[in-house]
Amino acid sequence: MSKKILIVEDDTFLKNLASTKMTKEGYQVLLAGTAEEMTTILETETPDIILLDLLLPGTDGFGILKKIRENIKLLDTPVIIFSNLSEEKDIAQARALGANHFMIKSNFTLDEIVAKIKEILQ
Amino acid sequence: MDEEIKKLQDENDKLKKLNAFKSDVISISAHELRTSLGATKWLLKMCLDGDLGVLTPDQAKLLKKAFEGNDRMIGLVNEMLSINHTEEASLSYNPQPTDIVPLIDNIIFDFVGESYKRGIELLFLKPDTMPKQMHIDQGKIRFVIQNLIENAIKYSNNGDRILISLNEQPDTLTVSVKDTGIGIKDEDKAKIFEKFFRSKNAKEKEEIGTGLGLYTSKNIVEKHGGTMRFESAEGQGTTFSISLPFSSQI
Repeated sequence: MSKKILIVEDDTFLKNLASTKMTKEGYQVLLAGTAEEMTTILETETPDIILLDLLLPGTDGFGILKKIRENIKLLDTPVIIFSNLSEEKDIAQARALGANHFMIKSNFTLDEIVAKIKEILQ
Repeated sequence: MDEEIKKLQDENDKLKKLNAFKSDVISISAHELRTSLGATKWLLKMCLDGDLGVLTPDQAKLLKKAFEGNDRMIGLVNEMLSINHTEEASLSYNPQPTDIVPLIDNIIFDFVGESYKRGIELLFLKPDTMPKQMHIDQGKIRFVIQNLIENAIKYSNNGDRILISLNEQPDTLTVSVKDTGIGIKDEDKAKIFEKFFRSKNAKEKEEIGTGLGLYTSKNIVEKHGGTMRFESAEGQGTTFSISLPFSSQI
């Protein structure tokens, strides 16, 4: 049974690249661009790990992270914040809301992100 | 006299507002640049890995050059953000009671991805009892410790370990960051805190760098009434330490 990755990212180009790579690596990829799309997916799916962008239309990544940690099914699901923001206040807020990791998108290739996911899911 | 003081204060406030505006513009631009450069990085790497089809050797060679150039740009954007932070840091100090352990925990959290990518272990040796609270400007001391850890990661090798430790004395707290990386040559030691200085072996290991990090860090620590020092042996590693007084009068 392949592991499920939920990617919450509004940039279609990035989302599709990540999806292509992760599908190739044998993961089942669920894609959401907004909080509403994520909520719909979570009605029927339980991801093993979540990659979450911070700047999103409508509810931002912090609001979504709060919703994730309020969902009893996702209390222990690893969340990687996946953003190009790197201000101290952003990192501290993400951590306080229950993010497990914080990765600056432009500093990593998709290979390195996949390696991180593998390590977390081991 | 009062009028002149008020005039100077007004001028100072205007400069602060202008600086805050400039910082916001840089932060927003950096975010946009990172988004485009990051997407290019992902795409080029997937092409190079053959994820999107097989490349001829010539195509691979050219795309590799593009990938490296793009990565250098990302490095420059990261440096630009760092300098922006540095400039902000020089203007005003806002000391507040601070617990150093959670502050360091948060900084390390920020570096977990980068250290993992480079195969370097970051270890924070926490004391059994929490040290007394410090009276420091959190943002600026964060910048200093962040700079030391970032340097330690940059100049270490795959498989190395970086140790962060604390030493509490009655009047001071010392934070040390110890690496087993390339070290500092004896002839470079006297210049290491000079503005814009970068040693030859540092440039060989990491092309991108401004030479402002240690200079700024030392200024920030001294502004807090503290000291910054290092011990290093070429090829064996470096330990940077900052000692800050508990009764800092900024």
